[in-house]
Amino acid sequence: MKKLLNFIKRDHPYVYLGGAVLGALGIKMASMQPSQLSFLGSSPLLYILAGICGLFILLALAALAVKLSHWKSFSATAFKSPAMVKAARYFSYVLCVAVLLLFIDRPLMSFSVMAGNSTGADRMPDGFVPSMLYMLHNGATFFRMGIWTTVRIALLGTLIAFVLSLFMVTLRIQKPDRQDNDLVRFIKCVGRNFASAYITVIRGTPMMVQAMIFYYAGFNIFKGTGMSVTEINQVWSFFISGLITVSLNSTAYLAEVLRGGIESIDHGQTEAARSLGMTGWQTMIKVVFPQAVKNSIPAIGNEFIINIKDSSVLSVIGCMDLMYATTSVSGIYFKSLECYCIAAVFYLIMTYFSSLLMKAISRKLDTNVRELPSSN
Amino acid sequence: MEPIIKIEKLEKSFGSLKVLKGIDLEVMPGEVVCIIGASGSGKSTLLRCINLLEYADSGHIWFDGEDLMDLNTNLNALRQRIGMVFQSFNLFNNKNVLDNCTMAPMTVKKIKRQQAEETAIKQLKGVGLGDFINADSRKLSGGQKQRVAIARALCMEPEIMLFDEPTSALDPEIVGEVLDVMKNLAAQGMTMIVVTHEMAFAREVSDRVVFMDNGVILEQGSPKEVFGNPKEERTREFLSRYLEDK
Repeated sequence: MKKLLNFIKRDHPYVYLGGAVLGALGIKMASMQPSQLSFLGSSPLLYILAGICGLFILLALAALAVKLSHWKSFSATAFKSPAMVKAARYFSYVLCVAVLLLFIDRPLMSFSVMAGNSTGADRMPDGFVPSMLYMLHNGATFFRMGIWTTVRIALLGTLIAFVLSLFMVTLRIQKPDRQDNDLVRFIKCVGRNFASAYITVIRGTPMMVQAMIFYYAGFNIFKGTGMSVTEINQVWSFFISGLITVSLNSTAYLAEVLRGGIESIDHGQTEAARSLGMTGWQTMIKVVFPQAVKNSIPAIGNEFIINIKDSSVLSVIGCMDLMYATTSVSGIYFKSLECYCIAAVFYLIMTYFSSLLMKAISRKLDTNVRELPSSN
Repeated sequence: MEPIIKIEKLEKSFGSLKVLKGIDLEVMPGEVVCIIGASGSGKSTLLRCINLLEYADSGHIWFDGEDLMDLNTNLNALRQRIGMVFQSFNLFNNKNVLDNCTMAPMTVKKIKRQQAEETAIKQLKGVGLGDFINADSRKLSGGQKQRVAIARALCMEPEIMLFDEPTSALDPEIVGEVLDVMKNLAAQGMTMIVVTHEMAFAREVSDRVVFMDNGVILEQGSPKEVFGNPKEERTREFLSRYLEDK
């Protein structure tokens, strides 16, 4: 925001070039066919606005001519004098307003007329964008429900996975201590190997397969208790099994993220805590975990974004996420390409705003914001 | 008087490298012992073995009559009574200065926050950092960090303090402020074992100087004896290198 304000307030070396491009765009928009909603129409104001664009282009052409004739000494000419540059800047503000008005009047108004026509149509309109808008309007209930399910699965799944991964990583980093008796040694060994095996299996298999396995495993377990299919569907819904899949899947990835975080903490921190008489657990809880989790926040946010996207594979078990909703809508209207483009836009919006949110949180918590490569 | 620390035939190796080859050492209450010697002679390892940050392979360490090498000893309870200061400060990065000092007393000794903070502020004032109570521990200078680390150890009211090259990571200009704090501490009668390369400090403050070389204690005695008239050729060689620098 501050950057933008600075950009606007500053004298810009390319004011003539940039203004000329804007002006050309303005004239192009002014020459478009006016739509029903157009408020400028062919009124004198339209010609004034177009005239402003034209004037700026002429100014820029004059500057170009001087530039070509004074290639080396252009900065000494009148066009580069501070007063002239400043005047050009103020002129460019007027130009921007003119172009903005033209933009609202022509492309934006035409688009809203088209959108109104498409969404109000009683049958599928022709054209790519109109049919997208038509399906978006008529399938709004599906899309809304799909987005809501996707957001809930990604958010809850990441939260549950975070809590589980804290346990998982605790198991993963257990080491037998010199003073442990045989039983404690055995338990630690089993715990570490279990966590290690869990992480290997989950990270080594696709989430789509996991979703299928978890769903049918749960189904069979409930069936074993003698429940009917309708009863099972109520308890073991597609949403619940989808959520469990995402949670258990993310647990493995987050456990590895946290392990990296823990290993990046200087060993001196642990030694200092132990030298003060703190037990291993107290050291973990008070010193190591807080720092490790804080360092892992960018990666945890990354996992959340991955979950938004990857929850799309849950549609195979019938979980009503955005992907499932999109498939349903495309099945109704037989316009697959347009329909999946709508889904892509929605996914992009969700991930983009999530990543903005994550960056803001990271900055607030003063963690080192790192761009992380996707882990799956 | 009984020695507070008694070490007998202590041996330790890292893999095939034998670092301690049978150390015998006694430290009396109130005594200041400086351990000097070349890098790699096992000084730091010996200190870390006393605090059980490293486990020795064989031998015995008695602290106030309790054998630290016994598997049934409650190490955490004993570590509370042994303060340790590290070369690299090791302040808790996620805490400010005051919380660094109050965390251990509150978690380990279950002291109330108010009381822990009073002690911490007293100790921080004692090391000259009364104005930095709420500072971010990551933003202090090296000398300030080390003084916070000393105050943090003192908050547990230890009976003995171990210093592992406390000034080696500091630049020469601020070594003095840390050494002054340590001198004060010695004057108050604290039992101290100091691993150091600061020969002037060892000569001035310590009651006894221990010279270690290649995993054994080669020579020990009063600073006057060791610095003034070393018996061993190796000690003389080591010390002459330091005297040349002066």
